[in-house]
Amino acid sequence: MTTARAFSATRRSVGRTVLSAIIGALFIVPASWILLDSFRPNQEVLSSLTPLSWDLIIPSHLTLENYIDLLFQQGFGQSLLNSLIVCIASVVVGLAISSMAAYALAVLDFRGRGLVFAIIVISFMVPFEAIAIPLSQLFTTWGLANTLIGLILPGIGNGLAVFNLRQHFLGIPSSYREAAMLDGASEPRILFALYLRMSGSAITNSGLLIFLGQWTAFLWPLILISNSSEQLAPVSLANTFGEHGANYGENFAGAVLLALIPATTIFVLQRFFGRLSIASGEK
Amino acid sequence: MFNVLTTSRGAAPARRRTTRHDLVWAMLFLAPAAIALCVLRLLPTISAVASSLYKSFPGGIVTPTFAGAGNYLSLFGDPQFLGTISRTILFNLVINPLQIGIALLIAALLVRRVHFAGLWRTLIFIPITVPVVGSCVAWGAALNPQGPINALLSAVGGTPQPFFNSPSQALASIIVVASWIGIGYWMLFLISGLEAIPEEIYEAARLDRSGPIRTFFFITVPLLRRPLLFVLVADTVANFVLFVPVQLLTQGGPQHSTNLLMYDAYETTYTFGSVNTGAAEIVVLTTIMLAFVLLQFRLLREPK
Repeated sequence: MTTARAFSATRRSVGRTVLSAIIGALFIVPASWILLDSFRPNQEVLSSLTPLSWDLIIPSHLTLENYIDLLFQQGFGQSLLNSLIVCIASVVVGLAISSMAAYALAVLDFRGRGLVFAIIVISFMVPFEAIAIPLSQLFTTWGLANTLIGLILPGIGNGLAVFNLRQHFLGIPSSYREAAMLDGASEPRILFALYLRMSGSAITNSGLLIFLGQWTAFLWPLILISNSSEQLAPVSLANTFGEHGANYGENFAGAVLLALIPATTIFVLQRFFGRLSIASGEK
Repeated sequence: MFNVLTTSRGAAPARRRTTRHDLVWAMLFLAPAAIALCVLRLLPTISAVASSLYKSFPGGIVTPTFAGAGNYLSLFGDPQFLGTISRTILFNLVINPLQIGIALLIAALLVRRVHFAGLWRTLIFIPITVPVVGSCVAWGAALNPQGPINALLSAVGGTPQPFFNSPSQALASIIVVASWIGIGYWMLFLISGLEAIPEEIYEAARLDRSGPIRTFFFITVPLLRRPLLFVLVADTVANFVLFVPVQLLTQGGPQHSTNLLMYDAYETTYTFGSVNTGAAEIVVLTTIMLAFVLLQFRLLREPK
């Protein structure tokens, strides 16, 4: 009987594994198709689409021409650079603002602290898209249309980053701060030299949140930027997708380039990413 | 909160001094976030509500005049807009339970004893790293009438489908694309929720001879209430403002079949230049979205 049960348990776990593999394939096949076909000449991408054959996934030869054309002919290189500048600036400024707010909300003692915390987190939870259209009209009247500053500003306030950092700061014993104060350290010095140094993972998580938010932003650059020289990479990619009918080879190369930076970042930081405090839905 | 300074001298005055010290620094530290909040969230909300109460002509040569509820009345008197609202609500009633349900089933599968569980998780997670624009480009190509999905259908003896080109299939195709992007993301949150459920509870259920389906609905789902509520609310919010697939793949068509409220507000504002009507649409969108979120909190909150 024990053997029979063990046998049926093994069979069930094999069944689950097969099911998992099929589900995994559903997610990975389209992604690997983009990756592979980005290295094929566009003509071949198009001719391999139909009828169904192994040509769909087996290239005759690999080439970098889609990437070279996209980066140097289509101005996608400039857009990628703009995206990087906007993301890095947003992360630096956003982390400074969020960590100052988080420090005030976790360490300093004042009346109404809980209420301020709730207001900050809740109001930044309202999806940005919902207010993007009215905000872009304000930005246009302030002369921020077609500027990188206009693109950076919405990324600097992030409720989740404040939440994350505050959670982490709450876990740092207050005796550290008291000792530093006895040594005559000021509050900014305690925050930047003491608390931030002890918050590697929370800083990484919050920085990643801000980075990914800005890296994938689409509606905001679409409505704020009309000059192609200031445009960000996702909108530039969408524009080439519309314009040239079916240059799938270049489109796929753009998608790969866009995916490359967050993918590398996430996989490098995976051990931190797995610890994202919000991931459990716990408070 | 205890403070070294409090105990060092006479308690009362020192305590007041620390409080004032803390308050001053708190105000300084909170100022940038507070300014960002006012400028980036509060101001546009107020300006959207205010703008929705005015009427102007595209181009803005004539000064806007106060119209009260005029924009709202004409919106709700327009059958096409009413169609957009019911479409948006229907879309959300389908896509949110669908995405969360599938994400939960996959998560429940992957926390069981499965060979190479980490590998499958990574594969399902990979679409998250592709920005939405990239995924839409790929699916636009895959679901092209001359694309590989139709080639696959023909190969197994089916009939090629029009997908994004058909009014009856376009919205369903958008749901497929959005789910391919979203499911892996929500699955991550649910997996960590599932892993927090103690193994002993499952063992007790096994001893009580509770079958896998019974265990799932009467033990797993109730114990997962908090993460489930969190992902459901977050997913709902995300899908109410879903924009990229519509803009990139269908532009609201064919025959308005994929015209969702967020895209409609964008089109009204930028394509037709009706800034005030667009603002009214944003207010309507936000109101419906908040109503949905509140409803979910009411239905799924912990029983007292």
